Amino acid sequence: MAGADKTLRVIGKPVRRVDGRAKVTGLTKFADDLFLPRMLFARLLRSTEAHARIVSVDVSGASKHPGVRAVLTGKDLPVPFGILPVSEDEHALSLDKVRFVGDPVAAVAATTEDAAAEACDLIRVEYEPLRLIADPEDALAHSEPKIHDYADQGNLHKVVALEFGDVEEGFREADLVREDLVFFEGNTHLPMEQHAALATQDADGRVTLWSSTQTPHYVHRALAKVLGLPASRIRVIATPNGGGFGGKSDPFNHEIVAAKLAMLTGRPVKLTLTREEVFYCHRGRHPTLMAVKTGVKRDGSITAMDFRTLLDGGGYGSYGVASTYYTGALQTVTYRVPRYRFRGARAFTNKPPCGPKRGHGTPQPRHALEVQLDKIAESLGLDPAEMRLRTLHPPNSLTANYLRVGSMGLRSCLEKVVEGSGWRSKFRKLPEGRGVGLACSSYICGAGLPIYWNNLPQSGVQLLLDRGGGVTAFCGSTEIGQGSDSVLAFMVAEGLGIPPADVRIVTADTDLTPVDLGSYSSRVTLMTGNAAIQAAERAREILATHAGAKLGVPPTRLGFAEGRVFDVEDPAKGMTFAEAVVCAESKVGTVGTVGSYSPPPSPGRYKGAGVGPSAAYSYTACVAEVAVDRGTGIVRVERIWIAHDIGRAVNPILALGQVEGSVYMGVGEALMEEMAYRGNRFGVHKIPSMLEYKSPTTLEMPDVVTYLVEDPDPNGPYGAKEVGQGPLLPVPPAIANAVYDAVRVRVDEVPITPEKVLRALKLRAAGKEARVGPTRFPDVPWPEAIRVPPPWEGGDGRAVAGEARAAERGAGGRRQGGLATGVSK
Amino acid sequence: MRAFEYLSPKTLEAASAAVRTAPEGARIIAGGQDLLGELKERIATPGRVVSLKAVPGLRGIREESGSLRIGALATVQEVAESPLVREKAPALAEAATSVGTPQIRALGTVGGNLCQRPRCWYYRLADFPCLKKGGGTCFAVEGDSRYHAILGGGPCHIVHPSDLAVALVALDASVEVVGAKGRRTIPIADLYALPAVDASRETTLAPDEIVAEVSVPAGARSAFRKFREKLSLDFAVVAAAVALGPKGPRVALGGVAPVPWRSREAEAALGAKPVTAESAAAAATAALAPAKPLKNNRYKVPLACAVLRRTILAAAGVADPGPPAPPATPAPTKKAGEDF
Amino acid sequence: MPEARTPKKPRRARGTKSAVHLLLRVNGEDREVTTAPHRTLLETLREDLGLTGTKHGCELGECGTCTVLVDGQPILSCLALSADYEGREITTVEGMADGAQLHPLQETFADLGAAQCGYCTPGFLLTAKALLEEKPSPSREEIREALAGNLCRCTGYLKIYEAVEQAAARMREEGPRGGR
Repeated sequence: MAGADKTLRVIGKPVRRVDGRAKVTGLTKFADDLFLPRMLFARLLRSTEAHARIVSVDVSGASKHPGVRAVLTGKDLPVPFGILPVSEDEHALSLDKVRFVGDPVAAVAATTEDAAAEACDLIRVEYEPLRLIADPEDALAHSEPKIHDYADQGNLHKVVALEFGDVEEGFREADLVREDLVFFEGNTHLPMEQHAALATQDADGRVTLWSSTQTPHYVHRALAKVLGLPASRIRVIATPNGGGFGGKSDPFNHEIVAAKLAMLTGRPVKLTLTREEVFYCHRGRHPTLMAVKTGVKRDGSITAMDFRTLLDGGGYGSYGVASTYYTGALQTVTYRVPRYRFRGARAFTNKPPCGPKRGHGTPQPRHALEVQLDKIAESLGLDPAEMRLRTLHPPNSLTANYLRVGSMGLRSCLEKVVEGSGWRSKFRKLPEGRGVGLACSSYICGAGLPIYWNNLPQSGVQLLLDRGGGVTAFCGSTEIGQGSDSVLAFMVAEGLGIPPADVRIVTADTDLTPVDLGSYSSRVTLMTGNAAIQAAERAREILATHAGAKLGVPPTRLGFAEGRVFDVEDPAKGMTFAEAVVCAESKVGTVGTVGSYSPPPSPGRYKGAGVGPSAAYSYTACVAEVAVDRGTGIVRVERIWIAHDIGRAVNPILALGQVEGSVYMGVGEALMEEMAYRGNRFGVHKIPSMLEYKSPTTLEMPDVVTYLVEDPDPNGPYGAKEVGQGPLLPVPPAIANAVYDAVRVRVDEVPITPEKVLRALKLRAAGKEARVGPTRFPDVPWPEAIRVPPPWEGGDGRAVAGEARAAERGAGGRRQGGLATGVSK
Repeated sequence: MRAFEYLSPKTLEAASAAVRTAPEGARIIAGGQDLLGELKERIATPGRVVSLKAVPGLRGIREESGSLRIGALATVQEVAESPLVREKAPALAEAATSVGTPQIRALGTVGGNLCQRPRCWYYRLADFPCLKKGGGTCFAVEGDSRYHAILGGGPCHIVHPSDLAVALVALDASVEVVGAKGRRTIPIADLYALPAVDASRETTLAPDEIVAEVSVPAGARSAFRKFREKLSLDFAVVAAAVALGPKGPRVALGGVAPVPWRSREAEAALGAKPVTAESAAAAATAALAPAKPLKNNRYKVPLACAVLRRTILAAAGVADPGPPAPPATPAPTKKAGEDF
Repeated sequence: MPEARTPKKPRRARGTKSAVHLLLRVNGEDREVTTAPHRTLLETLREDLGLTGTKHGCELGECGTCTVLVDGQPILSCLALSADYEGREITTVEGMADGAQLHPLQETFADLGAAQCGYCTPGFLLTAKALLEEKPSPSREEIREALAGNLCRCTGYLKIYEAVEQAAARMREEGPRGGR
């Protein structure tokens, strides 16, 4: 077992996180904690209409208001931006149209926050209301008025169809074919920290922005584009994020507005969102309706799967194209799916835009699939755990959609939770009102491709070795609480044989640090880690060469550990790490190295193959035990057993924290969290408060028993895989399955609220089908599927003729697999 | 928040006068746990805020001639932890324990809890010109009404948010208030009025009247139960309080009506007989018989029924037999091969 | 009836009616502040006194992030008018350590992963400090109850419980030390 690796001195050890002391003393500076002399405060005026043309904006009253220094409207920032090159559909301030209640229309900078808010109230906006598109069904029924004019069809932003092998043939070979409809309600990240940005124009004219962002590199690009400045004259610093979970991964209007106001006024400008506004930023989980049809043999092995998803995207593109593909990408990596068809559509609606939330696009289909497998196991008279164990996807192999599975620890995960939970003595055996449920999942360790097309490294690390023995590691990675600064320090410390305390971290500053794409898609440990290892190895080489010469030992025989460089055959012979640096510096001058990382290319060559590939996949299995109160319908999760195939835990404390935090969020999504909109027919308004957005407190959080399964992946740094997102995925379906075990009702819809449970119990009492959930999947005008023969049918990762040609028209080479296919600028 | 003038008078009479004479309206602040939210959301925009912090004698919980006398500035936490309240009016202690969060209970006062404004999400957003804010519409009727009234609603459909009030109605408490006309004592039930009377307010107090003290008859067997989606940081979806005193049972429901809702139907169903599982169920059913749910809150009827039934049993110390047994195993799902 | 939204009632700028001069006692030090009467304790601490260790998550009393101690009791500084807290003993996270010596809770929160993003951490630390001063050996259930007013979106709370338990054990062993 990797955990027992005795050669590692930092990796795998419960070392305190590098930012621990700052966080417990209140010294960590979050964006809103920054105050600069002469600083102004900015506020945004947001739309009160869900869908309307802007007839006029009168800012004369606001401009004259005492304390006001600048007022901006859409025409001051006319250049569009957006995280994906294929959907640059946002404006910093709405230009001619508003697309949801909360869309920003104007901005004010003033000497106090009160004055800025008062001035916002004095701005007169005349709207010409347009018919609002409330939800995907509405979008399907009404292609006009168009929320955006670039959608695939009417108000359908994106419609995709992929088929890997003959799915109908697969269904004919099945002993049982089951189709289920499941709805996963949207929810939001709810980071404890509200987004904040502080911008200033430096004495030399450059613009600096501090922001609570997970992706400073993408913000840097967006600022350059919209402000019309060379990127070299803009500096973006990501402050430590007070929680992100994906909600701070887009470049945001308020960041651009703060920068523009700083440029206009020549003074620092801070813009901190209120909690209500954080709900308007959203970019959370897409509400997703799913139809999953699966054919199985009597032993539970899958013969074919057809998956349809319909996503409610909200008012802008955001990451939506990727989200759409993600609802179909990872079904294939847990169990062997020999034939697979996926069709997904994302609708534009007049609501705050959806985007990436922890698990990005994959928790919804995972939920539908795992709930369906539970039903299939019951139909087949099989134990759900046993059935899954029989159908696991083999390690080191390709999936039907050309994802390359490397290490695959799901078997161990399943065995651990089955054993630990006492599954066999509980499943279908607990008294009425109590139940257990099981589910599995998998997640990527970093997206294979960057957001915009390029063949550059996805993470870079630069090391500066000080003659005093200290090492400074520079990296663009962003600390959002997950521990990325610590991972960087631990990797460098391990690589150089020095204590983590001797590594100083400088991160997330576009002036100082090499690009790292950001804290999203569970990419940082794997990518930054590998880049750090490369930089450390290069530094070792330099040190070994010169220390070896001085010691008279061949460089290859030198070891690095405990702050020393020594002869591994005679450890007493050596020097301190600082002496080795001095030694090298005296010969070659200043000692510094760089390392970088790009994930391996993916074998998929079809359009859409850019979403899903990863250097490695993590795996998780989960058992939930619940108590359902039949009088009130409330579900209490009492305990969760969860096993996560992490490859190797870089730090067990941080890893357990990520698992437990994922469980927490999964429990919330399963039972209570929802972005609800009031009275969709007439006007859109969500519940913009922490009281009404229900999030579990200490009293809802179950006990969690965590097992870390360590089966090092060759692509991971020291074998490590992700742990920040994957463990969320199996939690909601495990809970849904446990509810069924407890009271024999199916709530095929999350959140599983008391209201729904009571409704289902009533149906059960009346002897009707005890199910609450969607009953139809609307007709979507699917395009003809791009057909890609799976690897075992002689496929080479390309679409068959016809589709292949169509795809090639857009772009060539590897670019076909990219998100930016054919549309990148 | 709109800027305001801050005063801190030393007597209740002076505080009342300070409210009365405010040219641009005034609000009393005690613990501030409800008022600050209203000020920040600009639901309340008084020109003056009158603090009670310097008024002596408004704290404390004591027993006097068979009644508990609780000062209006006693905190919710003090009520929850008071051995006297726990022993002599357990429903009130239980209700206090269930309020808000530890932090809110630490500052929130009894008077403030009774006079807090509703949590209706249309009322709480300045952008919705609802009936309660002087507008023409109750948005809950056509909008999302999942947490709104099922009893006594109309034309405004809020539910009253106070837990303490529900317990106090069951316990037959009375309230002493101070205003321009001096002191008066009213039964707690008369502190509240339905929106049919005046949709803009929940209490019958004059604007310058201030709650000074609550008096609770001691000794009745009583219980309070509350259902909420989260056990902390949340308000009641449904609450119930039951007291079994010498004058017969008193039953109150919370979270279901614009006022703490006394159910005479349930009281009649219980009558003077000892409580049994059957009579508790019958009383709960009777209490909800007049319910008129809106389109999204039908579920609150069985929910309130279940919570009330349990509360009656808890007050009487009768074991809960649980909900009726469900039908045996549901219809078997399809066997292998059936579908193909 | 459609759900209509109307523009917000315009705020009139009223300036600071009768600014108040306050003498606050924060972390054992007397601090004088002249501020508007509508300033909350949260704003006064962060903006007038530069104590940014106290964070804000909602400013409506719905998350517990802004928790500080007043006379040793956890309260929400976002729902407190500064003017109401003259003469009271206010403790913020900056007042927990004794010089460079961290409070045992700070040590265990850092060591055991109880702080991830760290944003809710000051509020949890202060709530836990109040708990341990009242109950030196709290049960897991008592810890859950005491912390039920503080939301954390990162940890799932479990590491926080462990940190509180371990700090409690250390404080019992070592006797009271550090902090105020």
